[in-house]
Parts: sequence; C-alpha cells; structure tokens
Amino acid sequence: MSIIRCPMTLLLLFNITNGLIVGAFYVLMALGLSLILNLSNTINFAHGGFLVIGGYIAYAITPYIGFWGALLIAPPLTAVIGLVVERVLIRPLYGRDPLYSLLLTFGLAFIIEDGTRFIFGPQGKPVTIPPFLAQPLSNDFFFITGYRLFMVAVVMIAVALLFVLLRYTRLGIRIRAGTLDLETVAALGINVQLLRSLNFAVGIFLAGLSGVLAAGQLGLEPTMGTGLLMPSFIAIIVGGIGSLPGTLLGGLLIGVASGLTAVFLPAASEAVIYVMMAVVLLMRPRGLLGEEGMMS
Amino acid sequence: MTSFPPRIERRTLLKGAAALGAFQLASPFIIQARGETAVRIGMVDPLTGVYAAPAGNEVMGAKLAIEQMNAKGGILGRQVELLVEDSANDVGTGVQKARKLIERDGVNFMIGDVNSGIAAAIAQVTSEKKILHIVSGGHTDSITGKDCKWNVFRVCNTTRMEANSVSSVLYSKYGKKWHFITPDYAFGHTLYDACTDDLKKLGGTVTGNELTPLGTTDFSAYLIKARAANPDVMILLVQGSDMINCLKQVVQFGLDKQIHVAGTQQELESLAALPPEARIGVWMFEWYWKQPGVPGVEKFVADIRKVNKGNVPTARHWFGYASAMSFALVANKEKSLDAVKLAGALENFELPDDVKLQPNKVYYRKGDHQLMTSAFVGEAQSKGKDDPEDLYRVDEIVPGNKTAPTVEETGCKVQWPA
Repeated sequence: MSIIRCPMTLLLLFNITNGLIVGAFYVLMALGLSLILNLSNTINFAHGGFLVIGGYIAYAITPYIGFWGALLIAPPLTAVIGLVVERVLIRPLYGRDPLYSLLLTFGLAFIIEDGTRFIFGPQGKPVTIPPFLAQPLSNDFFFITGYRLFMVAVVMIAVALLFVLLRYTRLGIRIRAGTLDLETVAALGINVQLLRSLNFAVGIFLAGLSGVLAAGQLGLEPTMGTGLLMPSFIAIIVGGIGSLPGTLLGGLLIGVASGLTAVFLPAASEAVIYVMMAVVLLMRPRGLLGEEGMMS
Repeated sequence: MTSFPPRIERRTLLKGAAALGAFQLASPFIIQARGETAVRIGMVDPLTGVYAAPAGNEVMGAKLAIEQMNAKGGILGRQVELLVEDSANDVGTGVQKARKLIERDGVNFMIGDVNSGIAAAIAQVTSEKKILHIVSGGHTDSITGKDCKWNVFRVCNTTRMEANSVSSVLYSKYGKKWHFITPDYAFGHTLYDACTDDLKKLGGTVTGNELTPLGTTDFSAYLIKARAANPDVMILLVQGSDMINCLKQVVQFGLDKQIHVAGTQQELESLAALPPEARIGVWMFEWYWKQPGVPGVEKFVADIRKVNKGNVPTARHWFGYASAMSFALVANKEKSLDAVKLAGALENFELPDDVKLQPNKVYYRKGDHQLMTSAFVGEAQSKGKDDPEDLYRVDEIVPGNKTAPTVEETGCKVQWPA
C-alpha cells in the first residue's frame, strides 16, 4: 500500500522533494558564480565551462583512481585552472567596466566548449558511478537514489564549509569585507589581488565539484555546462545578488518550481523559472534576500 | 595599485542574461575550398548543441564520400568541395546559413539538417532557389509528406517508418499500455502520432505523454509522472543528449526493473555515451556497422575507422555518405547539374551496393522522394562480444517499402516547377 492514499498529494510530495534535490545542484553552481560576482564584479559566463572541465577531468582520471579519487582530485585541479585564468585573463580587466570581463568570459565559454570537443570529441562520454550509489532507496521513492542523496549531502557539506570559511576564517572575513567595501579593505593593507584570486579559485572549485557530480548523473558532453548555467544564474537573481543565503534560497525555489510545473503544465516547466525571475525583478528588484543598493 | 570599478548594474546583468540566450550561436565552420570550377556541395548541420555528435558524424561521412568521388574523377570531371555550416540547432541560424551557402558560395547541392525543424525550413529555401537538396538526418514525416517538394529527397527514415518497424515487436514483447517521453518539437510530435496510431491498431492504450523541451537535462519530474501512470512500457522518443540523460536517470532510478523501457529510434552515438548498465531495451537502428557478408560494409567501416580515431561508423556516417554519393551518382549518370533534371532522375533511383551498404533494395521512391532504406530492429547490449563498439544486436532487417506508408498516405503531392 502506498504511503499516502491520494495520488495527487503523492505526486506533489514527490515533486517537491525531487525539486529540492534538483535545486540543491543549482545551488552548488550558483554559489560559486555568486562568490565571484560579489568580490570580483565578474559575471562568469565561463562557469558552465569550468563545470565541463571538472567533469572531463573526472572522466579522464576515473580509470586510474576511481570515482572517489576523481571526486577528490578533479575539483582542486579545476580550481588551479581557474586560478591561472584569473591571473592571466581576468585580473587585467578589474579596472575596467564589468562588461569587459563579461565579454571575456563569454568568449572563454566558447573556447572551453570547443576545446573539450576538440580533445574528447563531440560524442558524450560514459561516467560510471559506484554501483551501491546507483540504486533507488525504495520502489515508491525511486527518484531518491543513493547518488542523489549523496549529491545533496555534498552540497550541504559544501554550503556548511563555505559558511564556516566566510564567517570564521580570516580569509572569509576579508572576502566579506571586500564584497562590502573593497577600497577600505585595500587601505587596511590587505592584498586585494590575492584575495580576489583565492575567492575566484573557491568559486571555480565549486564549479569543478558540480561538474564531477553532474557527470555521474547526466551525460558528460562539451555542451552540458550551458544548460546548467542559466538556472544557476536565475537562482542568483531571484535570491538576490550579494547574498549567499539568497542564492541558496533561489536555487531551491527554482528547482521546486520547475518540478511542480512539470506536473501541471509540462510545456512551461522551462519557462517558469524565467517567469519567476521577471516577477522578482518587477516586485523586488534586489532579489528575495538581496541587500538594498547591491544592484543599483 | 588596485583600481575600483563601479558596481555591476542590474541592466548589465540582464544584458548578460540575454546574451547567454544567444550563447549557442557559434561562428561559421567552413571546410577547404580549392579549384575554381569545383562542384560545390553545401551542408548545414547542428555541429554545436545537443545534436553535435550525430551532426559531426554526418559531416565525416559526407567528407569520406567527397574524397572517394574526387579520387574517381569527381562530378562531370570536376573536383567536388564540401562547404559545411553550423546551424547551431536553431531554425533561424540554419536558414541564414543555407541562404549564405546558396547566395554567396553558389553551392550546386545541399545536405542537411539533423534537426527536423531546421531541415524543413531549409527545404523552403532550397526549393525557392531551385537547389537539389537531400535531407540527411531529419525524420519528421512532413518533409517527404504533406510539405514535400520537387527538389527535396530524404535518406533517413520518416518517423512513420521508424514506428512501423518496431511497434508490433514492442507490443508483443512488452505489453499494451504505453507511456511516452517525447521531445517537444516536430520530430517528436510526428513520431508520437505514428506510434500511437500503430498502438491503437494493435489494440493497446496510451497512459500518457510527457512532452519534454529539447535540451532537458533533468528528466526526474517527467519520470515521476510516467511511473505514476503505471504503464507496461515506457517509450523514450527523445534523441541525442536528451536520450542519454533520460536513459541514464531511468536506470539509476531502477525504473527498468519495474516497467519495460524501450523506444523507436536508437543510435550508436547515444549507446556509446551511456554506462553499460544503461544500454537496455528494444529499438530500431537506421543502419548498423556489423553486417557480416554484406558487400562494401567492411570497407566502409575500415575507411571510417581511419578518420574517426579508430571508431566504427554510425548510421549518421552512412547518412552523410549516402547523401553526398547520391548527388555524384545521379549527376554523372545524367551528365548534368540541372536541379530539375536531376530531381526527375532521382525518382526511383536505386543505390548501388557500395553506397547502400545493406542487404535490401534501397531506392528513392517516386512520388514522395523518400529513400526506401531498411530498419535494423533489435536490442541494445551492455557490452560487445568481439568489439567494444558492438553495442546492438540486430534481430531483423526490415526493408523500407515494408515500413513506409504508401505515397497516398503520406499526403505528398509533388509540384514541379513550370
């Protein structure tokens, strides 16, 4: 016998739970995007590209060190690539209008996509996850698999660590201070360049981590970043720019919204997140938890 | 010295968001051109986006054909060039690229597109410009059905042919309650219609249809709905990366252990990108590389391996190859490049052994210009026995004229130019 008798209630419950799982993934990506946006004023269009890099690194090293090894190694490797990109390409543009870095990362996204296609080919690559994770918990709750729970756990740990980092470490306090007033932070003798580099690396680390997790569940392809970037981007706008809790809320909200819409009006399941963004921008331009003036 | 740029304005961010929408519009991609009087074949295919893998393979097949025909003297003694453009899986871009190939590059023939919607739109352009056009890999019925054109021929199957080839097998093997996961565009709609028509004739019922946007990454919400409808079999009509994402999630959710999972069109590109446990189900292939004893196949496989990092050809390689070869064969036979004359000659034109690469008779049918090509009905296998790429077991090769509806049923009435 089913846990709940009314099939509609069950369907709703399933989709809310499922939406939270999907949303958790967007959160992971959006947090990295948000960190970089807050401190470096860079809208990182190449974030999806870094996700793809993380996924392909995992694919390439899995045969040697297994899935768990790849999960540990691929994100920091991606972060190192991010560090180099920041130092060589993005840093020279900090002094200019944000449009410059936007255009640069926009181009970079193309380069990464084509580069991966050149190296690994356009055909998707199979990534196998440990068999015990690839099981549903029960026949009724088939959509809650070990892997998806694991993914949510990783997201929760990452969010918690990020919170501790920003709240209690010197680096985190500087990042937050820099987000509010970079000029004063610099005047206090803090190496702002280094701060930005490290912050960028943390953001790209999260992108790399998203990439490894996504590769276990989706097809690993050079284009996979594009489809995942947009929802993350919207999560930030809905949640409020400059607010990491806002990003968290935004990611979960759009996950649930698109899941629920898929039940009642499947054709709109993709459009609904854009509608949400439009409504938030009209009613509360700073986003749900955004600080006043962040976007003005 | 640190500088302090102004804060990002909301408008900047929004402009950025708009720009992201245009992200998939990539720059053109042109392949070599030499000789002044070469015959030019234009090819528009989605080299970026969800169909990048099949499109890339079609181009590779066409390139091989060009190489082989040039080695044998080209078309009418002139060398042949292939000009490739990326439609980026977008109708507007595809049409623009087709116009550019015709108006600026002066191509004599046109091939494309993998995406049915784009193929149909390009067909409008080629018929207006009187260019002989072969649709290599877009399956929607109307292209050789109600919207058929005098200048448009098609190599791949129609969705109707695909459904007809495999429906009765699915019905007898898996059961009569079907639930569909359908891509929400021209190809998916006509394939769904064809399948449901077959199912009704067989006496089965449809428990529901999940229309999923092209490029969907997470199928969980649709799968939850499909599972709740309690069907005997879940029919996946999605293609490309959508197929990979969907099938991967189906298997991780263990749905294949609760209900049957199968479909119509399956491709080697998709099976190869899936982990072994997700290579399941009964499907139809449009061409398969392992055909012991069939003339020409072994050589074709060897030729493609040379240019494909050692990998075997897929149906898409054959589509590109057969499309380009058809132009050379008919033009050399008629000793002409005149589109109207060649279109007339292609009617009931039979492909020779070294081009058709399959046992049954293969010809462009007079009346709707659809190639009567076979369906390779069989089952996916998790691992190949002798070759890691032997991921499919062919049970039956059904000839095209057995799966295709009659010309009258297609609704095609070719209007020839005055």
